[in-house]
Amino acid sequence: MAKKKKSMSETADIVFAEESAPIVEAVEEKQVSQDLATRLSKMCERPEVLGFILRDATTATINLKEPEKIVDYALLTSQALESSQEISQIFNLGDFESTLIEGKNMKTLCFVLDENRVNIFMEKDLDHADILNIVRQ
Amino acid sequence: MSNQVYAFALDSTLREIKHVCPDVTSIFVFEENAQTIAKDDDTTQETISKTVDAFQTIKAKSETAGGLEAVTIQGSEGRVSIASINNFYLATVTSKEADEKFVDSLTRILIPTVVKLVDQIQPARRRSGEPTMAAELELAEESIQEPIQEPVEYAYQEEAVEETEYPEQSEEEMPTVEETVAEELVESVKEVQADNFEENGLVLPEPPVTQVIVESLGRLQFKSDTVRIDNSIIEQWKDLYGDRIIEEVELDALNGKTIRCKFSPIKDSKYQGKGVIQIPDKIQAAMETSKGKLVMVKPVVE
Repeated sequence: MAKKKKSMSETADIVFAEESAPIVEAVEEKQVSQDLATRLSKMCERPEVLGFILRDATTATINLKEPEKIVDYALLTSQALESSQEISQIFNLGDFESTLIEGKNMKTLCFVLDENRVNIFMEKDLDHADILNIVRQ
Repeated sequence: MSNQVYAFALDSTLREIKHVCPDVTSIFVFEENAQTIAKDDDTTQETISKTVDAFQTIKAKSETAGGLEAVTIQGSEGRVSIASINNFYLATVTSKEADEKFVDSLTRILIPTVVKLVDQIQPARRRSGEPTMAAELELAEESIQEPIQEPVEYAYQEEAVEETEYPEQSEEEMPTVEETVAEELVESVKEVQADNFEENGLVLPEPPVTQVIVESLGRLQFKSDTVRIDNSIIEQWKDLYGDRIIEEVELDALNGKTIRCKFSPIKDSKYQGKGVIQIPDKIQAAMETSKGKLVMVKPVVE
């Protein structure tokens, strides 16, 4: 992982040098996004993880074990993030960190990481705190 | 049952939770229809309304998760948890210093326990504006019943009075000192019962069970699916249920056989007020009972 980041940083320096800082930043973000997607995809190999939706400013990476539910999941997570931020403001919770939505059949963990909106769907018994720690590492 | 009862009970409970956990900055309970049931003193109705609105939008999209049970929002300075508890939703806001496990354990055990306790004191069927037990109260106060009548329908009422620990005291003499949540709860229930009695007048009680003596009807003179009941018993039912039409009764023999059938009043004046029931032979045979034996009869109120 660290090696990958270094490689991207070197590439950015070579291509854009210092006079084009915003573009370098964008490229780095893209790389973070890809790393995150890779980590999430690995996590999806666990049977208790039902899938994830990862969104950055321009793209979305989706990996669901039940692809037919993509619209439902997308609507749920989108609304959950929006409403959670609203509730967070009402009670002055400071910076929004995460939302856990527990349903009867499954639960969804939504959080923001480096400008990426991450939504992980999992079975109810799975320890979501553990998942959150792994992803944030 | 009126939400007032829950409100009284839960208000006290929320206060106690805030005393025990000062890190709980806001706590309230609301219903599916967004009505606030109980809240702490520091939380405004406007705050609750905004929160419930936001929560409802998540809930509306959560069908795919099989229905929403809980939402937990973590911020850098605190946490909001909204959880479904016995038809209600409990919202708890805690500061970042709060011991999450302790708060969760406390709220998710205490609130359901209180709700369950209220349900036990007044059966759950009385929720949502269903008839209250004013008439049962009234009946429980009547010391003299028909000698053959068993007070089965008042068993719950007696139990409730025992639970209050004030069996000798009247409503007016009830102590108002709030010593424990349970005591407050019982007191609240009694207050609401009294209020409902004053506001609503006579309401629907549990069907009374009356013990009667079997008399034969003969084979030819009556419909084989209809029993005749002492008119005084039918009058009691009318007093209890007013204009509600009762078409059938349930008969329970002492051997456990139960039969549901139509009924009409006894016409023969010699049986009036004697606590008897005239049963066609066919039904007697089905119940394995006979003349002179005892059966229990209760109206079928639907």
